[in-house]
Amino acid sequence: MARKTKKPSESAAPAVQLTAKDKKTLGSIQSLADEVVQSADRGRAPHVEIPSRSLSNVRFNQSKRIIEMGSGTNRRELFNLNQAKSYMQTLLVGSGAKQLIDQGKTTSIRGLFYLLKHTIPGTGEETFATQDECDPIIEDVEVALDSMREELHLYAKNAGAMVGPITLIDSGDEIDCSRMGSGGYSIPSIVEPEIVQYKKNTARFVLHVEKDTVWRRFNEDKFWRKHNCILTHGGGQPPRGVRRMLHRLHYELKLPVYCLLDNDPWGYYIYSVIKQGSINLAYESRRMAIPAARFLGLRSNDYVRCQLTPSVQIKLNEQDIKRAKQIAQYPWFASKKPWQREIEMMLRNGFKLEVEALISKDVSYVTEQYAPARLAEENFLD
Amino acid sequence: MAENDKHPRRRATAESMAATQRDISVSEFFAKNRHLLGFDNPRKALLTAVKEAVDNSLDACEEAGIIPELWVHMEAAGTNRFKVGIQDNGPGIVRKQIPLIFGKLLYGSKFHRLRMSRGQQGIGISAAGMYGMLTTGKPVKIISITSLKKPAHYFEIQIDTKRNQPEIVNGRGEGEEIPSGDKGQRYIAEHGIEWVSHYPTPDEHSPHHKEVRSGTRVTIELEGRYVRGRGSVDDYLEQTAIANPHVTIHYIDPDNHETTYARSTGQLPPEPREIKPHPYGIELGRLVTMLKDTTGGTMAQFLTDSFSRVSPGVAKQICDAAKISTRANPKRIGRQEADALYQAIQNTKISAPATDCISPIGEPLILKGLHQQVPGEFFCAATRPPAVYRGNPFLIEVGLAYGGSSPTQKVSLETLTDLLSESDARSVRQFLLTTFDGIGAAGAERIMAEARMGARQSPSKLKKEEIALLHGAMKNVNLSEGQSMQVLRYANRVPLQFQPAACAITQSVIANNWRSYGLSQSRGQLPSGPVTIMVHMASVWVPFTSESKEAIASYPEVTKELRLGLQAVGRKLAMYLNQRKRVQQEGERREIFLRYLGEVATAVSSIKGYGEGKKKDLYGQLLDVAKRKTAVADTQLDDRGRKKAEPVAEDFGENVLIVDVEQHGQENKETV
Repeated sequence: MARKTKKPSESAAPAVQLTAKDKKTLGSIQSLADEVVQSADRGRAPHVEIPSRSLSNVRFNQSKRIIEMGSGTNRRELFNLNQAKSYMQTLLVGSGAKQLIDQGKTTSIRGLFYLLKHTIPGTGEETFATQDECDPIIEDVEVALDSMREELHLYAKNAGAMVGPITLIDSGDEIDCSRMGSGGYSIPSIVEPEIVQYKKNTARFVLHVEKDTVWRRFNEDKFWRKHNCILTHGGGQPPRGVRRMLHRLHYELKLPVYCLLDNDPWGYYIYSVIKQGSINLAYESRRMAIPAARFLGLRSNDYVRCQLTPSVQIKLNEQDIKRAKQIAQYPWFASKKPWQREIEMMLRNGFKLEVEALISKDVSYVTEQYAPARLAEENFLD
Repeated sequence: MAENDKHPRRRATAESMAATQRDISVSEFFAKNRHLLGFDNPRKALLTAVKEAVDNSLDACEEAGIIPELWVHMEAAGTNRFKVGIQDNGPGIVRKQIPLIFGKLLYGSKFHRLRMSRGQQGIGISAAGMYGMLTTGKPVKIISITSLKKPAHYFEIQIDTKRNQPEIVNGRGEGEEIPSGDKGQRYIAEHGIEWVSHYPTPDEHSPHHKEVRSGTRVTIELEGRYVRGRGSVDDYLEQTAIANPHVTIHYIDPDNHETTYARSTGQLPPEPREIKPHPYGIELGRLVTMLKDTTGGTMAQFLTDSFSRVSPGVAKQICDAAKISTRANPKRIGRQEADALYQAIQNTKISAPATDCISPIGEPLILKGLHQQVPGEFFCAATRPPAVYRGNPFLIEVGLAYGGSSPTQKVSLETLTDLLSESDARSVRQFLLTTFDGIGAAGAERIMAEARMGARQSPSKLKKEEIALLHGAMKNVNLSEGQSMQVLRYANRVPLQFQPAACAITQSVIANNWRSYGLSQSRGQLPSGPVTIMVHMASVWVPFTSESKEAIASYPEVTKELRLGLQAVGRKLAMYLNQRKRVQQEGERREIFLRYLGEVATAVSSIKGYGEGKKKDLYGQLLDVAKRKTAVADTQLDDRGRKKAEPVAEDFGENVLIVDVEQHGQENKETV
């Protein structure tokens, strides 16, 4: 009888194909290590220059209209009592990233934490005690090596969904976003051109909403089909994946981006992050910020325009007022009169409005009346 | 009849009461009030007897300019009875004086003069003899030799308490004369008289040759209780050795163990001068007596002769203020005039007394003395300049020892077993607290937790394994945290053993803020830490709170000086503790770097794809850089790579002794 023996694959995993990006990242990591070797050779203390991510080193670039990081750096040395541990951790993250790249795998930031966590031989101390120690180091490495997290083969959680008349290829699979049912295509956290490529697109613009519940409304009413747009949401403050996707849609496919967010300071802030970038990820602004994004609503004057009732008002609390004033001071809002008026009006109203408030008029008021009207009027805030 | 009596029946009349009233002699009074002299209970009595004899011996030797050598011999003589013999190598006592000194209360050389000395009133030794007689019926035995060429004298004496006179019991009321030379030796041996005739092997500091040339030995048999630990004879002798580094004491305890407290210097302290009283310190009554007794013919003479710091000019000022002629006869001064004189003295400006009448121990000897007896790594001392209270000159000296192991860690298993069986403490915890100095409640708790001992166990009923467990726990538990400061109090070089709470010294130590010097301290308590502090008050007249000379009274001038002295040593301690912390931190620094170097080398090697060899090289290189970066720590690591407690750039100033106990046994480094 013929025996079917299946030999276990003797060879190791198939050879990993390094992309150009990977090679570049590897190069940066190597130079990090080289610095140590050279310093040790010359008998000097090794160090790494990490661009400073504090507010003092962040600037609003007027011409590019994005938040940019300045040139300030912090020096992290091995032979400094306060920095020795974080220096060591920085190098560990570098070596961890190299390992991932070499293996052609990605992992979450928590995964990297577990990969690098161990007891230092000869002591009772752990390299990383908690993930909270590890995350900032990962960010440090990102800025120091000028590589995005994804380039280090680290991903964050998925959040956000997308539907629309666009077909794309994700890790080799073809995705038709017009046929993603009620759930939509879950936007991955790494949407680099190596992973995600655009195949075919007939959409004319992108509508980005804040919450997934609002998105569902639009999806159920097939708004995107009627108006030929791509519909995305970020689940609140949009994560890097969503922002990157929007950025690519805007720049590669030349699609304008409109935002439909709540009428409150948080909504304004989300808009500002999409538009200008965030302080925390200032080094990413040029890859994620969309200065040409537009604010569709909800606006402070919509209360009157849509004839809403007092029952949908939510009173502004102390924090809201403080936040609103703060946002009004942001350099990218301070110079814009319409925005100043908008924020002033909200403060004068004394209340905030969620997009769902429009449901009090009609369940589909937002998709059938509100949004189409605003789009037709081309009445946006910049 | 009875019902018609207007007054209740009188029990006695004034006359019948008068018939029973009579003189009470001093010795009768003290016989009935023993507690005033320190003979309240058997334990204290034993200690007081030894103390009085030792005080006298030391004073006599120093006055004669002889380097003191003492023998203290304690023997059990029945239940609760001890025979105590103290011998010195002093000048000896002449025949005529011996009965008076030992058999008459309030007889002595020190009462009438103002001079720094240990005994202040001349009660001490005769009271001890009296106590011995009262409790055992045995007389005091004294043998004294003034020179090898002259005969020695041996007396057995009792006090006639009614008349305050000595009664000689031996030699048909005359005492015995012992011929000198070999005949004398045989006599001594035959009659069972105790006497140590030869010195043990001389040490580097001893100028004495083989034979004891002169001295006195007093033997008293009395009721007492022998304990070890706090308030014991052993403690007292050890503390005496600390404050008197020129003395050697040979001590044989009731268990026949011999301990020698060897001297650490061959120099006698400088001789204190006698001074005349200062006018400010004199009370009215005394003034009146002095006026009556003076030999000076005129008031001016009386004032300049009887007092210190009174010149003819000052005398005139006083007389003018009192409206008395300088030529007046002192014996004719009446009460009112004496009063005016007293007021005038208080109001006249008179300069402070000369202070060369006090001889301090001095900082170098304090350091030596402490170092000899107390374990520690850091010693410092401060002697305050002399000051004055109520016309009496005095000065304060402070010595501090820090570090070393606590007394509990030094105890051997046998000693512990002995201590436990002797103790009358009701629980082990109490036993620990009372027997050993410097354990706080927390320290006792820790020892008991380590030894798994219950709170209610009685110390005398512990089994062998339990004792062994306790001993192990005591050795292991490092009490530095729980240990409280040990305070040794001295007045005129005599250790004070009792009533610490009432003493100005303890009160000043507690009131001092030790937190600012690096020790932890709860409010109203002694600070904690492995610290021993010794405080010495030297004065022509030490102010005690009571007759038993156990605690020093808190005059404001005295408390002020105490405070300043404590602060002086506190500052030095703070410097030492800071420096120690720094050295520790430097050491930790290097350790931190070393820890991470390995990781860094590994990470880099994995990035660069290094093999083991290259990784080791890289590690070595980084190590070199680390060494250079932590060069400071290097200068403090000795050739064996362990830490030294050596001050690098620290200037402790004078009078500090830092001991490196870890390496090479006891290597001293003195910074002066």
